[in-house]
Amino acid sequence: MRRLGYLAAVAVLVIWSIGPIYWSLMTSLTPPNALISDHLRLWPEHFTLEHYGKLFGSSSTNQGNEVQSVWPQFSAALFNSVVTSLAATVLTVIAAAFGAWAFVRLRFPARDLTFVLIVATLGVPAYTVMIPLYRMMIAAGLVDTYLGVTLIYVSAFLPLALWLMRSVYQAMPLSLEEAAWLDGASRLYTLVFIVLPLAGPGLVATAILTFLSAWGQFMVPLVFSPTLNTKPLTVLIPEFVTRNYVDYGLMNAAGIVAIVPPVLLVIFLNRFLVQGLMAGASK
Amino acid sequence: MHSGFISKRLLRGREASLGLVLTFPVSAIMLALVLLPLVITVFDSFYRIEPMKPGTPFVGFRNYLTLMTDGNVLQSWVNTFAYVILAVTIETLGGLGAALVLHKARFGRRWLLAIVVLPWCLPPVVNAIIWLWIYNPSYGLLNGILRGVGLISENQVWFNNRFTGLLLASVVHAWRMLPLTAIILLAALQSIPVNLYEAAKIDGASPWQQFTLVTLPLISSGIAIALSQSTVFAFNLFDEAWILNGSALDTRSIMVQVYISAFQNMKFSLGMTLSILAMVASLAVSALYVLRVYKETSFD
Repeated sequence: MRRLGYLAAVAVLVIWSIGPIYWSLMTSLTPPNALISDHLRLWPEHFTLEHYGKLFGSSSTNQGNEVQSVWPQFSAALFNSVVTSLAATVLTVIAAAFGAWAFVRLRFPARDLTFVLIVATLGVPAYTVMIPLYRMMIAAGLVDTYLGVTLIYVSAFLPLALWLMRSVYQAMPLSLEEAAWLDGASRLYTLVFIVLPLAGPGLVATAILTFLSAWGQFMVPLVFSPTLNTKPLTVLIPEFVTRNYVDYGLMNAAGIVAIVPPVLLVIFLNRFLVQGLMAGASK
Repeated sequence: MHSGFISKRLLRGREASLGLVLTFPVSAIMLALVLLPLVITVFDSFYRIEPMKPGTPFVGFRNYLTLMTDGNVLQSWVNTFAYVILAVTIETLGGLGAALVLHKARFGRRWLLAIVVLPWCLPPVVNAIIWLWIYNPSYGLLNGILRGVGLISENQVWFNNRFTGLLLASVVHAWRMLPLTAIILLAALQSIPVNLYEAAKIDGASPWQQFTLVTLPLISSGIAIALSQSTVFAFNLFDEAWILNGSALDTRSIMVQVYISAFQNMKFSLGMTLSILAMVASLAVSALYVLRVYKETSFD
């Protein structure tokens, strides 16, 4: 009986977590006329790649009329999402990897104050700094540039990355580094060739969390990426709504494409992801 | 002895400069892109800054007063508090349930954990679009299921009703944030020593008593962390409300109001003032939980 209750709870948990994603995937594979039928079906009678064709095709038809394909916009936005997320991830991880080690292992003026101030910004919502930032970015000519958007992402995700990397270094025995110093290795050499390789799992966890946050950003690019020069998928996809009518098949297909990278990360690197979340959570 | 002292000082100096060099990129970015704008926000909330109007005169507390009497802003506050209450309740109860199930899992725990974490990993915008289709008045899954089990006789337009609108937007937000609460509570559950349960069993405690007398008190600090995290996130709810219902006043959160004030009505200083108030409110509420839970646990 208790076993049955447990299994029921697992089933509820699984349906709650992936049911909506399953529904979206099925919608993206259902022909448009079947989407507006009164009968609710858990999977489509006939599968179609029509909606994906609209995203990736060179031209497409809509209600019998030839319409312009969204591929030029979609591909540009996909590319922008990849570029800004990867750039933000690489810069954040490098800055956090070196910075956090210095905060843990080195003594320098105002060390603790600096660290506390940086981590305290975790409590500052993006919007509180966004308006002055917007004026600064306009003055610097960085609105709608990869550099501008990436820098804002880095400033938003650095505190958590620093926090995670600090806990990684704190858990490492000092004796390893001391042994290298005694052998005459410099501090920087020790960090790069002895500490960083050992911090691999922590670096991966930090990179995953940073990438996921950057990939999902909406508020920042909504303001700082007004055109397709830097506009990411998260800003482009909702714009499909405001055209003459809402094409749910297309939107779900685009959504499914946008969740491919996070889903792959969860499938292949979930161990690191959960470790990172647990380390970030236990403050 | 003397030379030893000098080399030690030299080492200290080199250590300090290495530390400053390695932390410089971090400090510079945070100073320029977060701390400086934060200070500017506070200062600018006392001025009138609107790109459409000339000059930036000092206005004292007028921005704050304007916000306190603006009907739209007041309704956004009410909506945001509704989001906080609804979302935090769903996340805490659901997250605790999920954590208990995960803690119990013997086989395939890693994969169950991966499945539970998945919604948190997806872009909030995509989540909102997925749920927007589920909530669709004509062809949505929610109407279909509720009609199927006979709870409603005809399709509902969910966002025509303020309460269901707020509730359904909270569900989307909670769907994304629940994994974080679950992970925090799972970490707390794993830190409870098993022999405490054995001792409770020997004393004849029922499973419910074990839960209320052993589990809950021992994960209370985890609950405090989870509560304050989910409160801060619910206060900053933007993406879900914006995608599901745009600027509609019924579901407008305080962050949506900030966006509208600043970037649609171009009233920068009003937006900044409101964002300060929102930050102070969210931090105050989450500090309240932490204090409360610490107090309660220190009684035991």
